[in-house]
Amino acid sequence: MNESSMFLAALVLYVLAAIFYFAFQFSRKKNWAGIGFGLALVGLIAHTAALLIRTFKSGHAPFTNMYESLSFLAWASVLAYLIMVRKFKIPRAGAYFMLIVIALVALASSPAMPKEITPLVPALQSYWLWLHVSVTLLGEAFFAVAFITSLMYLRAAAKEKKGGQPATPSARLDSISYRCVAVGFPLFTLGGLVLGMVWAYKAWGTYWSWDPKEVWSLVTWFVFALYLHTRIVMGWKGRRSALIALIGFLAALFTYFGVNYLLAGLHSYA
Amino acid sequence: MNAATKFFTSVKLAIVLLIVIILASVLGTLIPQDRSPQEYAARYGQMSGLMMRLQLTRLYHSLWYMALLLFFGANILVCTLIRLSPKLKKSLKPTVLSDAAGLMSLKTSGRFKKPGTVEDWRGSVRQELRSRHYKLREQTLKDRTCFLARKKTLGWFGSDVVHLGLLIILAGGLLSGAAGFRDYLPLREGQTLPAPRSDFGIRLDKFETELYPQGSVKAWKSTLSVVENGRDVLTKVVAVNHPLAYKGLNFYQSSYGWDWNNPEVELWVKKKSDPAYLEKRKLHPGEKTGLPDGLELRVERFVPDFIIGQDRQVESRSEQSNNPAARVGLTKGSETLFGGWVFANYPDFTGMHSGGRADFTVELKDVQAPQYSVLEAAKDPGADVIWLGCVLIMAGLFLAFYWPPREIKVVLEVSQGKTDIAAGGLTSKSREAFEAEFQDFLASLRRNT
Repeated sequence: MNESSMFLAALVLYVLAAIFYFAFQFSRKKNWAGIGFGLALVGLIAHTAALLIRTFKSGHAPFTNMYESLSFLAWASVLAYLIMVRKFKIPRAGAYFMLIVIALVALASSPAMPKEITPLVPALQSYWLWLHVSVTLLGEAFFAVAFITSLMYLRAAAKEKKGGQPATPSARLDSISYRCVAVGFPLFTLGGLVLGMVWAYKAWGTYWSWDPKEVWSLVTWFVFALYLHTRIVMGWKGRRSALIALIGFLAALFTYFGVNYLLAGLHSYA
Repeated sequence: MNAATKFFTSVKLAIVLLIVIILASVLGTLIPQDRSPQEYAARYGQMSGLMMRLQLTRLYHSLWYMALLLFFGANILVCTLIRLSPKLKKSLKPTVLSDAAGLMSLKTSGRFKKPGTVEDWRGSVRQELRSRHYKLREQTLKDRTCFLARKKTLGWFGSDVVHLGLLIILAGGLLSGAAGFRDYLPLREGQTLPAPRSDFGIRLDKFETELYPQGSVKAWKSTLSVVENGRDVLTKVVAVNHPLAYKGLNFYQSSYGWDWNNPEVELWVKKKSDPAYLEKRKLHPGEKTGLPDGLELRVERFVPDFIIGQDRQVESRSEQSNNPAARVGLTKGSETLFGGWVFANYPDFTGMHSGGRADFTVELKDVQAPQYSVLEAAKDPGADVIWLGCVLIMAGLFLAFYWPPREIKVVLEVSQGKTDIAAGGLTSKSREAFEAEFQDFLASLRRNT
């Protein structure tokens, strides 16, 4: 049993789960969604094993480079998805959601991501690494679920407008999106902002230095703050709410991924 | 309230400000911050002047960005206060009186009629609600008793606590900016420097760089001692992620470097006519040493990164040993056998020395400079304020999302020798769970005959 075979097994299981979910989408055979759920769950177990093996081998948290953190984000997303789908009974989210997960895992396994275990640079040698990154990525995983349910909302609402009847009513998808944000937002606040500030203060002597990653975390936070205020105080629901949730997840994705590649490139000018 | 005040105190303004702050913050990540005017000129051409005047190049420290944040803070404060007083009134001085018809119009409600006096039923209602951890208020008119039962009412104030936390963080940021400072202490081993704006000193006892077997850096460790009134007060090993705190100052491992003012230079003297001749010497700049046959070798100067500057003078381009060079002299009596610059990286380069006449050559083989450690000394009185704000934000978020207030109202009335019992419930979140609790309450109350 080694890490890469477990990781590959997880990928294969996620792909199979997606296939069953899509088959369910088109055939409406209920137990195919159940099989999809089971495959995703077994995939998660294999994925957990891969992460554990890597942790024991490297002796540090499994999110210190892009390969590791992509893998962890995919893992957290599957976890968040399984929790939410179990709670809210929305098997139709499975097909779309597994696509995101497969994209993350495929990206992690692409040759562009170095996979060898490298020793930790001094700045990362801290238990704050565990706390800060895991909680943040878990929060982002719930934003990912909200992203999918918001997309589903937009489709369902369009269908209802034409007089059709979607499998899950749009109002329910709207409220599920909100519930996902209600879990993701406190986690992201705690992990991304609070624990990040505490760690920065310990390692660099300043809790905030307006570095692009920090600014984008704040931007993500503000977008979801906008989501909550327009919704709770101004009574926005449905379409506009869904659009803000979509933007919020994209901002979170950019904070996590884009800042490293795009802005670092911009900033390494000259 | 006139229209202007209304707008200033509105949530709409908060939303507009939120969007403006988001866009401004994003802009600041697209424009590289705090670079030189030349770099901006090269990058943005004619726009660069305007951008610098608008402080887009140090956006997060610009007056307009800070004004934006402060304006947002003021708006949050006003919005929170305006919504706070009715909530406080509702929480502290609620209306207990209600009527059965009103309760029955609620989504969560129930009504039944049973034998027994209002007096008897009062006790049962109290007991059932208390066992579910509700806090009770009751009021009795002549043939009617009204109950107002609540729990988790703190949940009403979740958003206010979050806003308070945000304001405290804003205040903490201002305090950090106004009263905080940071300073860098480059310390050689054994050296003591006064800590900035304090009455004690910091001595570096030892500095070491630990490497992994593969060669990358594992840790930089500075053993620091606090010296107060000439006495050592405490000693601690400081590394990245492990600062030293003393009297409100924190000392962080920031960087390190080599002290090129006094390196140890290793020179090899060779003889063209005699391949077996080799004299190795280690010297510091300014020192000289004797060699056999009355020769004398000295090092006059050393630079770690040799370059000929604009005024045709030798200087060091950086503090890195990119091109180490030493000016050496090999003499016998008053005769110079070899003199000039020798380079560690270019041992065969002869353009900078005169050594043609005799058959001696001098090579710069190695340079060892003592390492120094750079400690960042920082005081940030805003940090503790920030942590308080963070705790409030997390507590507030918890209250707002996961501490939903619940309210049950019950009206008992005498009706044809029996008691008419009507109950209604209100909550803002997790309706299903509340509905279940409410129905369970009604069912157990019904059994109380």
